[in-house]
Amino acid sequence: MRPRLFLHVVGLEARKRLSYRFDFWIQALVSFAAELGIAWFLWQAIFHESGKTVIGGRTLDDMVLYYVAVILVAKLARGNLFAVAVASEIYDGGLNRYLVYPVPYLGFKLAQSLGTLLPATIQLFAFGAIFPFLVKGSLAHPTAASVAMGLVSILVAHVLYFVMQVCLEGVAFWADNVWSLNVALRLVSGLLGGIMIPLAAFPDAWQPVLAALPFRHVFSDPVEALLGQRTFLAWAGDLGVALAWTAAFTLVARWVFRRGSYAYTGVGI
Amino acid sequence: MLRYLRLYGAFVRFSVGKSLQFRFDFFFRVFMDTLWYGQYLLFFDVLYAQSGTIGGWDRHRGYVFTGALFVLDAMQMTFFSNNIWQLPEAINKGDLDYHLLRPVSPLFMLTCRDFAVNSAINLLMALGVLLHALLSYPHPLPLVNVLAFVPLLLVGLFIHLFLQILFLLPVFWIHSGAGLRDLLWTMDPANARPAGIWKGWVRRMLVTVLPFAVIVSFPVRVLFEGPQPEIVLHMLAIAVCIGFVVAFLWRRGLRAYASASS
Repeated sequence: MRPRLFLHVVGLEARKRLSYRFDFWIQALVSFAAELGIAWFLWQAIFHESGKTVIGGRTLDDMVLYYVAVILVAKLARGNLFAVAVASEIYDGGLNRYLVYPVPYLGFKLAQSLGTLLPATIQLFAFGAIFPFLVKGSLAHPTAASVAMGLVSILVAHVLYFVMQVCLEGVAFWADNVWSLNVALRLVSGLLGGIMIPLAAFPDAWQPVLAALPFRHVFSDPVEALLGQRTFLAWAGDLGVALAWTAAFTLVARWVFRRGSYAYTGVGI
Repeated sequence: MLRYLRLYGAFVRFSVGKSLQFRFDFFFRVFMDTLWYGQYLLFFDVLYAQSGTIGGWDRHRGYVFTGALFVLDAMQMTFFSNNIWQLPEAINKGDLDYHLLRPVSPLFMLTCRDFAVNSAINLLMALGVLLHALLSYPHPLPLVNVLAFVPLLLVGLFIHLFLQILFLLPVFWIHSGAGLRDLLWTMDPANARPAGIWKGWVRRMLVTVLPFAVIVSFPVRVLFEGPQPEIVLHMLAIAVCIGFVVAFLWRRGLRAYASASS
């Protein structure tokens, strides 16, 4: 897919997202505050009732900063696949029009998916600029370099999560309704990727499992890079692993779509 | 009333037939909810590894709370969720017209028509988790506590249902339900945390105006502490008040409804 066309699709989708202003402000302010508030009260209770000052290597302030970052990063990494609607296009036959477009389907969908990120990107920069001044964590030392590393990690994380979702959405070639598979991915990745609990707070026995799964590269690694908690070498190593996972899932997604296209009837299921 | 029960029986029969047609969806949804249970059990397990109590409840009480949460969620998914999710679309696309023309309450049709058979299987699993949590609870639970807990959990179910409708009804006026739906999903975990973690004005808000903290935590409190009149009356008052607000907004919404152009 030509870069100019790719960027054009990204721009079209971004404009579409910003046209729903009420939704934008609700998601930008109220949803963010609610999500952060729930995490804050939970961890405040845990710190207070356990009598600990450090959990999983983090103080309460570090924990708050982590949640600010992970909530914002998760919005960018997950994107909005409902807006991209791969499974529903397979299910209702909407895929037909892409078969005659002179563009690769998955490339087109990735461009759309990236376009949906504009509201979340604005939120990341707005809140990300404010919170380090409001909450002083002992672990967070964001610098221009760490922010740049974090942004690269977020971009890779988005592509990785996109191809994981597409693999599941592709099941729609054979099954009638697959949204629950994406919810399952969301649940598993949310817990084992570090959205619900920072990965360092898991017991030691879980650490090798968490390290072996791809989910940490989607949420936890970009957050730690963004907050300046990764050296360049450690970040580069993690990024390499994330890219390897992305390549592996891309191959699976292409295989699923190739096989699925044989089963596709063009009139939906 | 009898007519509505017969109608609901017909809804269940149609839903069973439909679920047998969509077999993959049936198993995927059972799988999804099972994963959700696993996710929450692991979540609380990790948290309790860091602290002996959370919101004043130890691991055993936390486990009972989790079981009650699963049962409430499974009932919600079985009886109401499929219907509630379609409410904004029905309003926006004008499908509400068909319900308004029928000689039964449109709100009944919109909230009860689809019975999720797959979630009924998860309801059995959730009841199993709750039963295990109750049986492994190390202290005796008086029968009166259990007898008060069960109906209060049902009151919690209706409070949860009314809250969901309340978040979706503004679609009559603002035309896009996505933002409010996301907000509801973001706030919903507030009912999945022990009420003891909330402090100050946030606690007051979550037990009155937006009573997410009441839904599961209050019935579970009754299970441990006995049926204190203030808790029982509080839950009933919340359910009645929020029910009236939903009924009021529904009537106002219908006045603003302009069929497919809504």
